[in-house]
Amino acid sequence: MKTVPFPNAIDARFISASLGHVQVLNNIDLSLPAGQWTSIVGPNGAGKSTLLKVLAGLLPHTGAVALLGQSLDTLPRRRRAQQLAWLGQNEIAGDDLTVWDVVMLGRLPHQAWLAAPSAVDHLAVEQSLRATQAWEWRSRSLGQLSGGQRQRVLLARALAVHAQVLLMDEPLANLDPPHQADWLCMVRALIAEGKTVVSVLHEISFALHADQMVVMANGCVTHQGACADTATHRALEAVFDRRIAVHSLGQQWVALPRN
Amino acid sequence: MKTLCRKLLLCLAALASLSGSIAAQALQVTDDRGLTVSFAQTPLRIVSLLPSLTETVCELGQCQRLVGVDRYSDFPPVVRALPQVGGGLDPNIEAIVALRPDVVLLATSSRAADRLQSLGIKVVALEPKTHADVRRVLEKVGQLLNVPDAQRVWRVIDAGVTAAAQSLPATARQTRVYFEVNRAPYAAGESSFIGETLTRLGVKNIVPASLGPFPKLNPEYIVRANPDLIMVGDRNYAGMEGRPGWTAIRAIREHHVCVFSAAQSDVLVRPGPRMAQGARIMADCLQKMSGKAP
Amino acid sequence: MTVISHQQRIASLLGLGLLLTGVALIILGACVGSTGFESVGRAWSDPMSLLIVRDVRLPRTVGAWLAGALLGMAGAVAQGLFRNPLADPYLLGSASGASLGVALVLVLFGVSPFAAQWLVRLGLTGAAFVGAVGAVLLTLALAKGVQHTLRLLLAGVIVGVVLGAFSSLTMLMVPEVTQAMQAFILGSTGFVGWIACALMGGVWLFCMVVSWMFSHVLDGLSLGEATAASLGLPLAQLRAALVVVIALTTGTAVAQTGLIAFVGLAAPHLVRSVVKTKHARLILLSSLMGGALLMAADISARWLIAPQELPVGVLTAVLGGGYLLWLMHRSGGARPGAGA
Repeated sequence: MKTVPFPNAIDARFISASLGHVQVLNNIDLSLPAGQWTSIVGPNGAGKSTLLKVLAGLLPHTGAVALLGQSLDTLPRRRRAQQLAWLGQNEIAGDDLTVWDVVMLGRLPHQAWLAAPSAVDHLAVEQSLRATQAWEWRSRSLGQLSGGQRQRVLLARALAVHAQVLLMDEPLANLDPPHQADWLCMVRALIAEGKTVVSVLHEISFALHADQMVVMANGCVTHQGACADTATHRALEAVFDRRIAVHSLGQQWVALPRN
Repeated sequence: MKTLCRKLLLCLAALASLSGSIAAQALQVTDDRGLTVSFAQTPLRIVSLLPSLTETVCELGQCQRLVGVDRYSDFPPVVRALPQVGGGLDPNIEAIVALRPDVVLLATSSRAADRLQSLGIKVVALEPKTHADVRRVLEKVGQLLNVPDAQRVWRVIDAGVTAAAQSLPATARQTRVYFEVNRAPYAAGESSFIGETLTRLGVKNIVPASLGPFPKLNPEYIVRANPDLIMVGDRNYAGMEGRPGWTAIRAIREHHVCVFSAAQSDVLVRPGPRMAQGARIMADCLQKMSGKAP
Repeated sequence: MTVISHQQRIASLLGLGLLLTGVALIILGACVGSTGFESVGRAWSDPMSLLIVRDVRLPRTVGAWLAGALLGMAGAVAQGLFRNPLADPYLLGSASGASLGVALVLVLFGVSPFAAQWLVRLGLTGAAFVGAVGAVLLTLALAKGVQHTLRLLLAGVIVGVVLGAFSSLTMLMVPEVTQAMQAFILGSTGFVGWIACALMGGVWLFCMVVSWMFSHVLDGLSLGEATAASLGLPLAQLRAALVVVIALTTGTAVAQTGLIAFVGLAAPHLVRSVVKTKHARLILLSSLMGGALLMAADISARWLIAPQELPVGVLTAVLGGGYLLWLMHRSGGARPGAGA
């Protein structure tokens, strides 16, 4: 296991945020361990996407967020973008750019102002496209792709940043099962390299593959623990009103609806 | 005896009905829309929605019959004291009706005619656009207002124009004139009202009749035509020398530009009874310019 | 990689084609005058013709190119900034502001001779420019800065409608200016001289440089505002810089040639119908396309009923709109939709 300089990839203290006049996050304290995959789960409206945006520094909030030991407030925008990649949910992307151009945009935090893409950038883009099996259609424009193909391209864009921390909101949207499995392998590979991955997932069974799980409800964190812990499973079932049950299947955990 | 009495009675009855029908059709006017409007007697309360018609009524000496005018009617000065009922194109129907007019005079292009007629108000639509129109409208309004000597009024106006023309020296007759109506540039061609005045003054217009009354010209045309004299309102004159290529025009080079004030422009542009005054204004300017050394 | 260069090659070809078209149209424009088509050869023999070609026709034609280039650039920038293919450069209210400025100056020209002196120096062009920039500043004040794109758009629409109402009111109260205002609203290159061309050229260069510097931020913005922010892109500076670009380009173009509609809207679409490219090239190509479009419209406006002139705005709508209609018809029949 690689040693990481900071034990926590992200430290969040006393986080509160509101959208319009609605209080979405209530005084959250959260520490996400570095070099591990944490999945955030919870019912609709729990504030998972909002929390992810706050951790990425994209929403105004009260409280303090620290990324790899640096306070987000004082960290220059560019340095933050080099260390943290964020993949949003339902972000409307323009249809005109080619797949290759879209993924190359992920290299912007590393490129000097007005500089042309370097060889390192080209390599990163190729690696990311191959990792998501999108390399074959790199010259097609985004508007010509299906939902699943587009999602893989946006994923490749997030990978191309080569950031230490990846925050992904609903990364499996529109993906068919083989590609969902590919995503799983990809995340494991990232963890093996020492990167930190935080994902918000609706697919509970996939979320249970993570190292750590954060359970949220009504803008608060109700539980944080290892995915293998039974305490985590009970907390998970409780937050969904015991409508699901967590079962063991071989070496995996699956969540099934309770009849 | 009885048959004689009966014949007399019949004759009297016939005479009575005849005079009655004459009285019933005392006044009939066909306006520019081709509609005939009948009046039992000459209208005593008049609302005018076109400045040239206001001036026509006053020129015939019937200013006192006006009870309301549009906001653009400003001559003679007494009409400014009258209630204003909106513009020619957007009159205030309610205000007009409240004045209880016997007739409303307006332009053929106004949409108010139908509305007023549906409210039972008699409408006569007249729109003078040429010199001949001014005469025709003068006679029509004279007929409507039962003014017997409308012809004389016209003769006075006409004589005034001729006098203005005759006051010009022979050298002025050779002047080639460009009359700019506004800065787009729209010019007054030979077939417009202004153009007709210029023709009667004996000068040449650089815009021939084939281009229509108010063509929107390519500025190059004016540079190429190289007029000797430019006539323009002061509002449109500002910045004329700065137009690209225009310093080559003889009129600009020699400062032969007649700049008219807003009041003068009104007289020149309105096809109405102040034609003679307009012709005099133009003639004065032509005389001044031909007197200047080039 | 060769497939990507294919798009780049098409873009370069389009750019070259538009440049050559522009040069050809300039030559044609020098030949079209108040007598219809008149070859430039005559100019050498006749000093009046030479003067007309040099001082009247050439600056008009070049001015049409530059004004179209400014509007095309503004259109591409506006569509990129607001991420809306229906955005046109007058969205921030600059058109109505320019109208109001021109209307007020036209009214004041006749009011007092004292006012006329410094008003003449300001000129209608100055008034239109001040009006356009003033309207954009008003929009910025109403939207309280450039933070929210939606608020900026809404404020722009409001300012546009309100100032437009005021200029209509001015036209109603002082009907003598109505015809001149209408001519301004429909657009004309009639009085564009060499100084105006130099001014437009300078503004074009400055705004093109600024747009090009921010073009990659615009590309990032096309992924979505939150994604662009996560990439560390300076969004507030982008909005401020591009609002300045839109204000300057539209203000300058409108001041010289009046309100010419449709060029800013159509030019980026026309470019995108040929090649899909990033903003850096799109803005430049859109500029060239706008210039060619306006020049072609201007030459037609001068030629069709010579020596009278049609308003240029009508012809840009006919030319640009007609081509877009044909494109829609062609693509609507051929492809029902993108496959999976």
